[in-house]
Amino acid sequence: MRMVGVDVGGTFTDAVYYDDQSGELAWAKAPSTPHAPAGGVLAAMDRNGVDLATTDRFVHGVTIGTNAILERRGAPVWVITTKGFRDTLEIARTNRTVLYDIKTLKPASLVPRQRVVEVDERVLADGSVLRALDPDEIHRVAARLRAEPPAALTVCFLHSYLNGAHEEAAVKILRAALPDWFVCHSAEILPEMREYERFNTTVLNAYIGPLTARYLGELSRLMRERGYRGAVHLMASSGGIETAERAARFPVHTVLSGPAGGVAAAIHLGGLVGVRNLITYDMGGTSTDVCLIEDLNVPLTSEQFIDGLPVRTPQIEINSVGAGGGSIAWVDTGKILKVGPHSAGAVPGPACYGKGGVEPTVTDANLAIGRLASSLKLAGTVALDESLAQQAVQRIVAVFYSLDIPRAAEGIIRIAVARMVSAIKEISVSKGYDPRDFALVAFGGAGPMHAAFIAEELEIAHVLVPLRPGNFCAFGALISDVRHDHLRTHRATLIEGELKGVEAAFVQIEAAARSAMIEEGLPAGDVSLQRSAGMRYVGQSWDLIVRLPEQTPDATALAALFHAAHERRYGYRAADPIEIVSLRVTAIGRVAKPKLGEWTITSPLAATGSRQVWFAGIRCNVPVYARDELPRDARIAGPAIIEEMGAVTIVPPDWRVEVGSVGELHLRRSVQ
Amino acid sequence: MNSAIDPAVDPITLEVVCESLIAVVREMRASIIRASYSPVIYEMDDFSCALFNAKAEMVAQSNDHPGHVMPMPWSVRCAMEDFENDIHPGDIILLNDSYRGGTHLNDVTLLYPVFAGDRLVMLPAVRSHWADVGGATPGSYSGLSTNIYQEGLRMPPIKLYERGQPNKAVMRLIEANMRLPEDRKGDLNAMLGAVRAAEQRLHKLFGKYGLDAVLECLAINLDRSETRMRSRIGTLPAGTYVYEDYLEYYDEGRFDPVLMRLALTIAGDGVTADFAGSNPQVPGVVNSSLAVVGAGVFVALKSTLDPGGAVNQGAFRPITLKAPGASIVDVRADAPAGAHGEVRKRAVSVMLGCLAQVAPDLVSGDLCGTSFPSSMGGRDVRRNRSYVYYEAPAGGNGGFAEADGSSVYVNVDFGNIRSIHNAESLETDMPIVVEKSALRVDSGGAGRMRGGLGLHREIRLAGDEAVYSVLSDRAVVPPYGVGGGASAAPVSVSIRANGQDVPLLTPGKATGVRLRRDSVFILQSAGGGGYGDPLVREPARVAADVSAGYVSEACARSAYGVAFDRDGGVDQTGTTSLRAQLASAIVRLPIIADESPPYEGIKGRHRVLRMRNATAQRLGVRSNQLIELLGRHPAPLRAWVKLDESAPADAFPMDAFGRQVLGVVAGDTVRLRGIDTPIAPGERRA
Repeated sequence: MRMVGVDVGGTFTDAVYYDDQSGELAWAKAPSTPHAPAGGVLAAMDRNGVDLATTDRFVHGVTIGTNAILERRGAPVWVITTKGFRDTLEIARTNRTVLYDIKTLKPASLVPRQRVVEVDERVLADGSVLRALDPDEIHRVAARLRAEPPAALTVCFLHSYLNGAHEEAAVKILRAALPDWFVCHSAEILPEMREYERFNTTVLNAYIGPLTARYLGELSRLMRERGYRGAVHLMASSGGIETAERAARFPVHTVLSGPAGGVAAAIHLGGLVGVRNLITYDMGGTSTDVCLIEDLNVPLTSEQFIDGLPVRTPQIEINSVGAGGGSIAWVDTGKILKVGPHSAGAVPGPACYGKGGVEPTVTDANLAIGRLASSLKLAGTVALDESLAQQAVQRIVAVFYSLDIPRAAEGIIRIAVARMVSAIKEISVSKGYDPRDFALVAFGGAGPMHAAFIAEELEIAHVLVPLRPGNFCAFGALISDVRHDHLRTHRATLIEGELKGVEAAFVQIEAAARSAMIEEGLPAGDVSLQRSAGMRYVGQSWDLIVRLPEQTPDATALAALFHAAHERRYGYRAADPIEIVSLRVTAIGRVAKPKLGEWTITSPLAATGSRQVWFAGIRCNVPVYARDELPRDARIAGPAIIEEMGAVTIVPPDWRVEVGSVGELHLRRSVQ
Repeated sequence: MNSAIDPAVDPITLEVVCESLIAVVREMRASIIRASYSPVIYEMDDFSCALFNAKAEMVAQSNDHPGHVMPMPWSVRCAMEDFENDIHPGDIILLNDSYRGGTHLNDVTLLYPVFAGDRLVMLPAVRSHWADVGGATPGSYSGLSTNIYQEGLRMPPIKLYERGQPNKAVMRLIEANMRLPEDRKGDLNAMLGAVRAAEQRLHKLFGKYGLDAVLECLAINLDRSETRMRSRIGTLPAGTYVYEDYLEYYDEGRFDPVLMRLALTIAGDGVTADFAGSNPQVPGVVNSSLAVVGAGVFVALKSTLDPGGAVNQGAFRPITLKAPGASIVDVRADAPAGAHGEVRKRAVSVMLGCLAQVAPDLVSGDLCGTSFPSSMGGRDVRRNRSYVYYEAPAGGNGGFAEADGSSVYVNVDFGNIRSIHNAESLETDMPIVVEKSALRVDSGGAGRMRGGLGLHREIRLAGDEAVYSVLSDRAVVPPYGVGGGASAAPVSVSIRANGQDVPLLTPGKATGVRLRRDSVFILQSAGGGGYGDPLVREPARVAADVSAGYVSEACARSAYGVAFDRDGGVDQTGTTSLRAQLASAIVRLPIIADESPPYEGIKGRHRVLRMRNATAQRLGVRSNQLIELLGRHPAPLRAWVKLDESAPADAFPMDAFGRQVLGVVAGDTVRLRGIDTPIAPGERRA
C-alpha cells in the first residue's frame, strides 16, 4: 500500500510519502499557495514524486476553514431560532478577556442581526413542547430566503439537544426549499446543553461549510484527474481523521486540526520508544503549540475558542502562543525587552532572509550566535545572511548599553524560551502536573533548536526529537485512525432502573456509530467503540467525562469510577449524589499506517565540521553533525549541533544526545 | 526611564523572574477553580489571587478582577499594622472588613505570610466571593440595608492559623454565623490550597535565583511599572479637573440622590484624586472604602492612558487619594457597604468626566455604571431542593473616538466575569423559564459613536413561590454621554403578574420581593453613554443601526436627525433639513455666577438648578426633573430643576464648582437637555 500525508501550513506545505512494500518513507516541503490551496497540495506531492494513480491513501491537514474564520471571509450565515432568543450569539457570555483597556471591543458575532429570524416554537428543559412548531411559518421563512443568493443556513432552537424534533422538521422543509444552500442544525452538530456555545459551534460549521465543500471538490477533481482512486481523509481537531464527505458536512470538526497531527505523531513515537508521558512542543515560524500527553492518551477538551468564539466539538487540548522563529524582538516604552506577538511572517521574513526585514527575530538571534549557520538552507530554498542578522540584533544592543550582540541574541532567545515555558506551565503545573514527570517532544522547524533550553527551565531531563521534525505533523496525519464522536444528552441518576435506560441508549448509539463507519467503507472488524459519560455531583454545573467499560456497570461501580476521576482531576471527592448528563461513544476505524523503520546507519560517528557558538555568554567551538549520517546508538556529549533538512537540533553544554532505534534523538541533561 | 540607566539585574533574568511570579498566581487561580464547589467561582470567575511583598505592595497578579485586587493592598497593610511584629511562620490571616480594604462582606480574603528563615518576604493572597456570609437575607445581598450588621459577619484581620495551629474557636464562630457552613468550609479549603501551593513555588524560585535576586527583580519591576505610568501621566497638561455624579439612595422609600465629587489634579507625572465635598455616608448600601474608590480611580486612569503593560503596585504609586472621613467614599462603622461595586463604578464615572476634559480622545462615554446583582431564591418542590438564581447582567459600554461601545459586555473594572448564564442551564437547574433574552433597543446613548446596548431579559417563575432581591444603581440617573453624546437608558426592573408590569417601588433596589407562580421579572440593564454629537453621525451608520434593530426609526429621527425614504434608504435631503431643524431648536442660556449652596437633599445631596417657571416652560422641563447642562467640557453637569421666581430671567445661576465642571465662565452660554427618570428626589412611590 502507498500512502501520502500532506499538511498545509502558513509558510510551507509539508508532505510525507510511504510505501509499505519497500518501507520507504520520503519527505518534502513546498511553499504554500494560499490563493490556490489545492494546487499547492499537488505541488508538494509532485516534489515528492508521488504517483497518485498508484497511491491508495491520502490524508490531509487543512487550515482553509480556520483561516476563513480568522480572516472573517466565510459564507453569509442565516440563523433560524426560538422566539425571544434572536440575540443569543451577539450577547454571548458578556465576559472581557482583555483587562485595563477601555477601548476593547467584544468579539463580533459571525451573523449580523438582520440574518437572524425568530420562529414561535418552544421546547422546555425536560424536552416537553410548550409551543409547537408551525410548518407554515418555516415555509414562509424559506420563501423569503429564496429571494436571497444561496448561502448557509442554520436552525438553532432551545433545548434541541433533548428534543430535536422541531429542528429536524424545520431543516427538512428548508433543505427541500433551498437545495443550493448549506443547511445544518444545532442538535446534529453538538447535541449538548448551553445554547450560546452550541449555536456558535453550529454557526461556525455553516460559516465555513460552502468554502470547505468547494475546496474539497476542487481537490478531489484535481486528484482524480491524476488517476487517484482512493479515499480522501482529513485531519480533525480530535486527532482522528474523517472522510472528505463527512468533513464537508461537519467542517467545524477541522477548525483546530492544524496542530493535531503533531500530537498524534508524538503519541505514536512515544509508543514506539516506550516513553508514555509527553509534552509536545511544536514551534513554527509564527506560532508554537504545546500539548500535555499523559500515559499516551490524547488529551481531549471541548472548551476551546477560535478568535474569541467558542468551538465545543472534541478537540485535542492544545495551548498556542503567538511566538515562533519569525517573532520580532523589540523594546517597549517601559524599556522591557519583548519578543512577539508581531511576526515577520513569510514576507519580509526574518532580517537574515535578506528580503527587506530589519527587525531582529528569534531566527536572526540564533543565526547571530552561530546556532544556525548561513550554510544551511531552510527548506532547501531560503539562504540565510549572518551579517543581516547581526545588524538586526544590534538594534537591541543600541538600547541596552550593558549588552553586546551575543548577549542580546541569547537574551532574545531566552525571552522566547520563557514564553514557551510559561505556555507549558499553563498546561502542566497550572493543571496539577509536574513537568519533570514528562519528556519534551520537540518538532516544527524551530522546535529542536530551543528544546533543551526549555527543558532546562522546567527541569525536564529528557527531550525527544523525531526524524524530520519539520514534517512531523504530515506524518501524524498518516498514522491517525478514523474517529467519529457521538454524543447524546441523557440525564440519569445512579439507580438500577435508570441505568437500564442508560444501557439501552448506549446500545442504540453504538449501532448508529458502527453503521456510520461501515458506510464510510471501513470493514466492521476494524471498528472499535469506546463508551464514556459526562457525569457530575448533583448541584455541580460542569460535568466530567468518565470512560466506561463495554457494559454499563452497576451503580456502586459507576460511582467509584466517577469519584476516582473527580479526585484525579479536581483533587477531592464529595459525598453528594452523582448524576449522568450525557452519553458518548467514540468510534475508531483502524487504517493502514506507515512504520518508522529501524535506524540502520552504522558508519562511524564523525562530525561534518564545527563552528563558533555562544552558550551563556561563552563562545565555544562546537562540532556539527549531519543527522542522516549519525550511527544508531551514537552518543555525543554537548555542546553539539545536528543538522538535517528543515531543522537544527542544539545540544547545549551539560547535555548529551543519543540516537534511538527509529532514528529519534534523545537529549538528556547530564547529572549535576 | 532614561536609557542610560540600566537595571542592576540583567534584563533577561528580570523577565524570567517576573514571568515566573505571574505563573505562581496563575497556578493559584487554577487551584481555586479545581477545588471550588460554588458556581459563583467556576461559572462566573468571581475570585482573585495576587502576591504581595513585605511592604504590602502588590507585586504580581494575572488577569484578576480589578475590583478585587486593587483594594487588596489596603487589606494587607491593615493586617500588617494589626499584627505588627507578631506575624510568624505558619500564621494564616483571614479578613473581609469593608471598612479596612475589604469590598463587600461576601469577598473574603486569605493572607499567607511566607518566610525565608525568620524574615517575612512575601504574602500570597486570595480574595473570593463566598455565596453567603450571614446577614439579613440568603446570599447576603440586600439592596435596602441600613447598617452593616444586616450585610453579614464582619471580620477584621484575624489569625485563622497561629504558628501552624488552626484556631478552632475562630472557625466555629464563622460557621455559627453563616448559612450553609459546610460550603463555607469548602470555600476556605480551596483558598488554603491555593496559598500553600504558592508558598512551595516561591521557595523554589528563591532557591533557583536567590532570594535577594528575586526581591531585586520585584523592586525593579515595580519601579518600571511606576515609570511607565508616570511617563503617560506626564504627557497630560497640568491642572485641576473636576466632576460630580450621583449614587442612588432611598431614605425610607424616598429617592435621595447621593453626591460624589472629584477634583483630579495632574501635576508633573503624578495625580491626586481628591473626593472633597462628596456626600457624608448614608444609612444605605452606597457607601464604600477609599480602597474601593481608589480601585475605580486606578482602573479609569490605567484603562484610558496606558492600556496593556503589567499591573502592580508600582503603577499605583503616581496616584494620591484624598477623601473626607465618614463619607460615601471612606465609610466608617456602622454604615452598610454592600454596593461597593456601584461606588467603584461611580468613581470610574467621575474619573472619566475629569479625564474627558484633558484627554477627550482617550475616554469613552460613561459605562453602564452598575454591576446589577440580581438574585432570587426559593424551593424547588418537584426536586425537593432549595435553589438560588444569581446573575449580574452586563450592560453597554460607552462609545469612543474610534468605535461604538460594545453591547452587553462587562465594564472594564469588572474583569473577565461571565455575568449571565445560558438559559438552558438555568432552566435545567431551577424552576424558571427564560422568556426573552435580547438586546435592548434604543438603550445605547446616541452619539457620533453610539453607546453599547443593554440587555432585556424576562424570566418567568415556573415554581410556586420565591423571593427576589436586587442591588443596582444607575436606575434613575442614567449613564452620561460625552462631547454632546446623549445619556443611555438606565437600569430597569419590573415584575409582571397577571399581565401587568409593575416597576419596583425603589428603582434598582429591593430586598425579598415575593414572586408567585408565573410571575415574570423583567431585567433591563443600562446602556453606555454616547460619544460626540449624534447629529454628525454618518447617516449610513444610523441606517445600519436601524436595519439591525439597535436603534428604532423613531429614535433615528429624534436623536440622530436621520430621515428615511419609503424603502428604508437614507433620505439625504430630509436628513439635512431634519438635522438643521433639530440644531436650531437647541436653546442656550447664559451662566450667572452665584455662590449660594447648590445642593439639597434629605441625607443625600443633589444639585438643583433654579429657574423661573417661564424659563422651564420655554425649555420644556418640569419642576424636580433631572436635566443636564452642556458647556465647553465634554461631560455634562447634571442637576434637578427647582422652580424659583427669584431666579434670574433666562439665565442659569451657577457656583464656581459647577462652572468648572462645565468649563465656562459667567456670561458663557450652555445648553440644557431634559432627562426622563422613573422617580424624582424626595418622591416616594406607593
